[in-house]
Amino acid sequence: MTDTFKLPPLEIVEYKLSNGLRVVFNPDNAIPVVSVAVYYNVGSRNERDGRTGFAHLFEHMMFQGSENVPKAGHFQYIMKAGGTMNGTTSSERTNYYETLPANQLPLALWLESDRMRSLAVTQENLDNQREAVKEEKRLRYDNQPYGQIFDLINEMIYKNFANSHSTIGSMDHLDDATVEDVQEFFRIYYAPNNAVLTLSGAFDQQIAKDLIETYFGDIPSQPLPPELDVSEPPEVAETYREWEDKLAPFPAFLIGWKIPPRRTPEFHALYLAGKTLYDGESSRLYQKLVKGKESVIQLFGFTDERRGPSSIFVGAIPKPEEDLSLIRETIMNEIQDLATHGPTAEEMEKLENQLLNDSIRHRQSSMSRAQQIAEYALYDGDPTIVNRELDELLSVTGEQIRMAAAQFLNTDNRALLDIVPPANG
Amino acid sequence: MKAELRKSPPEPLEAVRFDIPKPYVTVLENGLQVIIFEQERLPLVSFRLAFKSGDIHDPAGQTGLTSAMTSMLTEGTELYTSRQLAEMTERLGASLSANASDDFTIVSASSLTLYSSEVLGLMAEAVLRPTFPENELDLYRRNTLENLKFQRSQPGFLAGEQAARLVYGDHPYAIVSPKAADIEKLNRDDLVRFHASTFVPNNAILMIVGDVKRDEIVGRIQDLFGDWQAKDVSRTEFPAPPHRSSRSLTIVDRPGSAQSNIVITNLGVPREHPDYFPLIVMNQVLGAGASSRVFMNLREEKGYTYGAYTRIDFKALSGDLEATAEVRTAVTGDSLKEFFYELERIRNEDVGEDELADAKNFLTGVFPIRAETQEGLTNLIVNQNLYGLSDDYLQTYRDHVDAVTVDDVRRVANTHIRPDEVAIVIVGDAEEVLPQATQHASSVEIFDIDGNIQDVAKYAKTENAATADVAGKWSLNIDFQGQQLPVSLTLEQDGESVTGVLETMLGNGKITAGSVSGSKLSAVATAEMQGQPIDFSISGKVSGDSMSGTLTAPIVPEPLPFTGSRA
Repeated sequence: MTDTFKLPPLEIVEYKLSNGLRVVFNPDNAIPVVSVAVYYNVGSRNERDGRTGFAHLFEHMMFQGSENVPKAGHFQYIMKAGGTMNGTTSSERTNYYETLPANQLPLALWLESDRMRSLAVTQENLDNQREAVKEEKRLRYDNQPYGQIFDLINEMIYKNFANSHSTIGSMDHLDDATVEDVQEFFRIYYAPNNAVLTLSGAFDQQIAKDLIETYFGDIPSQPLPPELDVSEPPEVAETYREWEDKLAPFPAFLIGWKIPPRRTPEFHALYLAGKTLYDGESSRLYQKLVKGKESVIQLFGFTDERRGPSSIFVGAIPKPEEDLSLIRETIMNEIQDLATHGPTAEEMEKLENQLLNDSIRHRQSSMSRAQQIAEYALYDGDPTIVNRELDELLSVTGEQIRMAAAQFLNTDNRALLDIVPPANG
Repeated sequence: MKAELRKSPPEPLEAVRFDIPKPYVTVLENGLQVIIFEQERLPLVSFRLAFKSGDIHDPAGQTGLTSAMTSMLTEGTELYTSRQLAEMTERLGASLSANASDDFTIVSASSLTLYSSEVLGLMAEAVLRPTFPENELDLYRRNTLENLKFQRSQPGFLAGEQAARLVYGDHPYAIVSPKAADIEKLNRDDLVRFHASTFVPNNAILMIVGDVKRDEIVGRIQDLFGDWQAKDVSRTEFPAPPHRSSRSLTIVDRPGSAQSNIVITNLGVPREHPDYFPLIVMNQVLGAGASSRVFMNLREEKGYTYGAYTRIDFKALSGDLEATAEVRTAVTGDSLKEFFYELERIRNEDVGEDELADAKNFLTGVFPIRAETQEGLTNLIVNQNLYGLSDDYLQTYRDHVDAVTVDDVRRVANTHIRPDEVAIVIVGDAEEVLPQATQHASSVEIFDIDGNIQDVAKYAKTENAATADVAGKWSLNIDFQGQQLPVSLTLEQDGESVTGVLETMLGNGKITAGSVSGSKLSAVATAEMQGQPIDFSISGKVSGDSMSGTLTAPIVPEPLPFTGSRA
């Protein structure tokens, strides 16, 4: 089927400003809408011990105003122009993006350039955003049932501090931070030569180039950030931990495996192995546990893509009174079956169709395209990978999936986190 | 030069028109209308088979029948079990689902172009040959009854239920959820009969958006749906919504509630009404978004609530307008005052040119963003056709929004917002709400959460106690999901006014306008979070040196109880 079906390539144009800012265009006039994404090459992986949580703190600081944009003005400007926007932080990068009617491209570039050039890193902004992050941590992590389990399992999987610590970071570290520390972090990591600017959608390339030169061209570049070592030994840091979650209504568990970096053949094969196990109502584990045995309330799994060693997870919240070890046995039996026999022909067909379908759907919106392209530009130095990634995934064979499952999943080298509700009920 | 240029936001470039081509329309002999919107952009197809009948067409005494029949379409057919249907769909990388609303019932599917023929076949199987298996119906019945119980714990549901009853009266738009007794007696025979009488081709539109070849797909549609027999569709006559002539107050009592859910509503107009565009522009200025007037007033200026909005619901046969907010109990009356101030202001004063321009920019700006994905575009096309809008509706949307003037906004505000005949619905602590709200209406009724009417007299406050002394430093323990979180509350008192500071683990909040009434303390501590003010609302009862009550924050769903004492 892949022979009869070729996805037309996205048009990609890339260049670099003299200050080192990498720019990628994906012109597509189908709808008069334009998306702008700015990806900074800084995530929690860049934080050293004693200074965790900075990358995420910055995501907050970036909405606190800059030389010509008042506090919280970013949102108001975008909204009044009929647009949408957001920003997020991961281990790998911090991103900011907006989608606007095509003729509002200058507004987006003005807003993004003003904060890249002149973010208001003041004591007042630092103080109140530090408090805001603490509130966010309490709400989203500490006070949510199961809210901390992914941070905990990363500590169990990774040995290298760059990989193992959480994105939200330590509140003590944030408290210790001075305005000078934060200004220094901004200078190093929010430099034009440490970022990628992506435009996708309806725009005239020459007009866009001129605007980008005007707004970004004279933002000074900075010495490159320090070299980073994210290497890991193959074994996980810790194979078992029991953890009492004061808010958990039911026991649950999470299993995590350490796997090769994103875009390696092994990672691709494991991504597909994961889909076969947990993705959708006809997946193996859904049929076995949610339908067949009706023993779990919720089943989930996903891969965490990183430039360095990555990970894959399977977790479940069983129904009360169910035996967790039996459920884990079912999961390990399915993994063993996949490692022995590989996916069935039907499963390969489903994977192929879902990959095609997902890949095409992700091309529909300019925002989704801008984000994919920015990632390849930032992580791989090559935005045109967006046009090859699907073929790479489709070329993975059942045998490769079997071998990857055998080597990386069907093993005792994994982290098991048992989550137990408070003892007194 | 460049530094100068950067000082203010740049002018937009020349606006780019968003041209949506017109679709191909045909009708099968059995009356099935087919609308094909060919779009080669990406190899995807979306299908919608929509019936012009919905929940309001449930037969008397059988509420929920349309929704049940719709949900069961994919739970078993003559050829496939529920599981087989799911597996076949996923193996194609496709999706298939069905949903009913007040006016319409829509079966949706989407897939790669490659499998459009197979997926359309699965859709036809679900629509034409469902078997409504007993075991699946049993599961549906149990889940639905659970859900009916659960929703009575949600204040938003209780407010919506009363608002719909007051605005729509005997019209079935008043029914917002099925009756449990009707769900209990749902049976297979009723579903089979109802399916046969309502799922008829001459009452349906099949819409196809995406990468299809018109001739091929029409042939396939003919094969799949050509033998489907047309039948008479009885036109239902519905009772007219009541004519209201005075302002009423309806309270749903949730004792101990720290918040009041306010809905202020009056009857509106159907979707095809000529005032549609002036109304959506007016609503954008008044309260549709986070930069609209009621939000700026009740939240940004007054800090009464986390969000305050106005909304216009346009249905096929009628509609309603409403202003809503969840506010701290202590400012229920003040919030009503500000709402009515804004409702009167937009009726009696012209909106500013800038406000009007911002509202129009927002509406015309997000329109193409909505149409970027095939799902988004399909939804626009579905609405256009189901509501019977003009053929050039999508092509002229922008022009219609742009044409709205200051005078239009004032005119439609005057016609369609009628403060003298609104229904005010408040879900909250009736004893607290009643004295604050009663002056805003000419009649009052009170219900409990199960919908039983109560004696208003029993909520009138009899105590008129002396103002308690609350000054000093209080150590309070908040019960957060079983954990005790200590906070400290330092208050200064001047007669009935209170100021002070609330110190919590989440940061400190300043109290600038608290009050004491008898033994009751009401205060709001405003802290800052991500650059936005966050209000912690304190409602306490003082007895000597001890205090108990609730703390409410917009970030936690339920009021948190506390107890404590004065140091």
